[in-house]
Amino acid sequence: MSGVELLMQPSVMPRLLSGLWVTVWIAAVSVAGSIPVGLVTGWLMTRRNVVVRFLMRLYLDFIRIMPQLALLFIAFYGFARLWNWNLDATGACVLVFILWGGAELGDLVRAALQSIPASQYDSAYVLGFNTWQTYTRLIIPLALRRMLPASVNLATRIVKTTSLAVLLGVVEVVKVGQQIIDVYRFRCPDGALWIYGAIFLMYFFICWPLSLLARHLERKWSHD
Amino acid sequence: MTEARNVSAAQTDAVAQTDAVQPALSVRHLTKTYPHADRPVLNDVSFDVPKGKVLVVLGPSGSGKSTLLRAIAGLEPIQSGTIALRGEVIDEGKPGRLTGRSKRASALRTRIGMVFQSYDLFPNKTVLGNITMAPTLVLKRKPAEAREEAMQLLERVHLADRANAWPHELSGGQRQRVAICRALIEHPEVLLLDEITAALDPEMVREVLDVVLELADNGQTMVLVTHEMRFAEAIADRVLLLEDGAIVDSSDDPEGFFTNPQSERAKQFLGSFEYKRHEATA
Repeated sequence: MSGVELLMQPSVMPRLLSGLWVTVWIAAVSVAGSIPVGLVTGWLMTRRNVVVRFLMRLYLDFIRIMPQLALLFIAFYGFARLWNWNLDATGACVLVFILWGGAELGDLVRAALQSIPASQYDSAYVLGFNTWQTYTRLIIPLALRRMLPASVNLATRIVKTTSLAVLLGVVEVVKVGQQIIDVYRFRCPDGALWIYGAIFLMYFFICWPLSLLARHLERKWSHD
Repeated sequence: MTEARNVSAAQTDAVAQTDAVQPALSVRHLTKTYPHADRPVLNDVSFDVPKGKVLVVLGPSGSGKSTLLRAIAGLEPIQSGTIALRGEVIDEGKPGRLTGRSKRASALRTRIGMVFQSYDLFPNKTVLGNITMAPTLVLKRKPAEAREEAMQLLERVHLADRANAWPHELSGGQRQRVAICRALIEHPEVLLLDEITAALDPEMVREVLDVVLELADNGQTMVLVTHEMRFAEAIADRVLLLEDGAIVDSSDDPEGFFTNPQSERAKQFLGSFEYKRHEATA
């Protein structure tokens, strides 16, 4: 059986797509959860309080230094032992990706807030804006424009990194692909190339539009 | 009828009188220290600006000129002294407060306009949006009415055709003229201009200063800090010379001050802008 024939088998594509759905679901929930965590983290990072800033720094550095895989294993195996917390594999993935995405997004929020010149706050004050107006009409729109391109890139990184979930036994698109390859190992020895090729294209078509969006936003707002 | 007219005439007289008696802006014994500084950046500064007059503040770098304007605008806390508009005290020194802004109400802040050295228009708004934002948001004026006045102001600074442009599409001089419109639309009693041409190319300085001269002709009360001495001489009704945060000279006769300064300090300061031609020796 050739590779093309393998992909045309009635069970192959639907199974891959159902695996892709799990991938997309994990990524979407992780990105959605990262947003509130990131906003709060970023805001805390800009506080004057030394203790708050130190704790945020520790959080960010810890998450950045640790490989995501190690974090996944800690969440999946460690937490269960430590707190008798029965986290399923998908739950552990979502938790880790939210903590990771939240920390990275927090740093983007911090950088965006700090990059807004003090003179913008001065202008708003002199014109008579109150604090609410200053933030909703000026600071937040400006910060969003500065951080959105990088945030969309972060989302594509989260989509790609969900493939690590396979190591916790989550049946997402990569795992489904491995199962199909195993089933057809003797009937289609070249299967791995074709199946992983199909998975590559699936990731590509999810991440590519995001990447285009990021580039578009970056160009649109490059003047600020 | 006549009575009513008399009453209103009397009221106008009264207003005219208060305006004559009460300066548009008066600063008394203003003292300000930055946190971690061992001496005040402004030390017992007092002056008045009568309505419709232009005060030019001169002084070497670090003398406290910009800080003075920022304190008047409420951007810097003052530790002692008072700032008053038409006799009404709007800010009083609080000895312990070294950081943060003055807690002035929004309405009070709109009575003083300020234009900064860095032409910082709001990058997320068009020229028109920049000008109409404050009147609609803060003064609750109707958008159509604000737009109409904004267009009139843009007409005055010769930028009506750029109303829908974005700030990044404008030159520095154009941005600064928009910033002046943005301040003017709130009808500030006092307009503060903090070295508004310092960051501009020489050929753009003129177009901005012409606008400022026209404002002075129309009776806009202003306090300005500038390094353009010829311009200062042309526009000033009153001159203050600051050094190390204290007033070392002041004059109500700007022509005399610039052409024939009396104090040693003024001579020295103005002399620093003069150049003698270097004659090569054969």
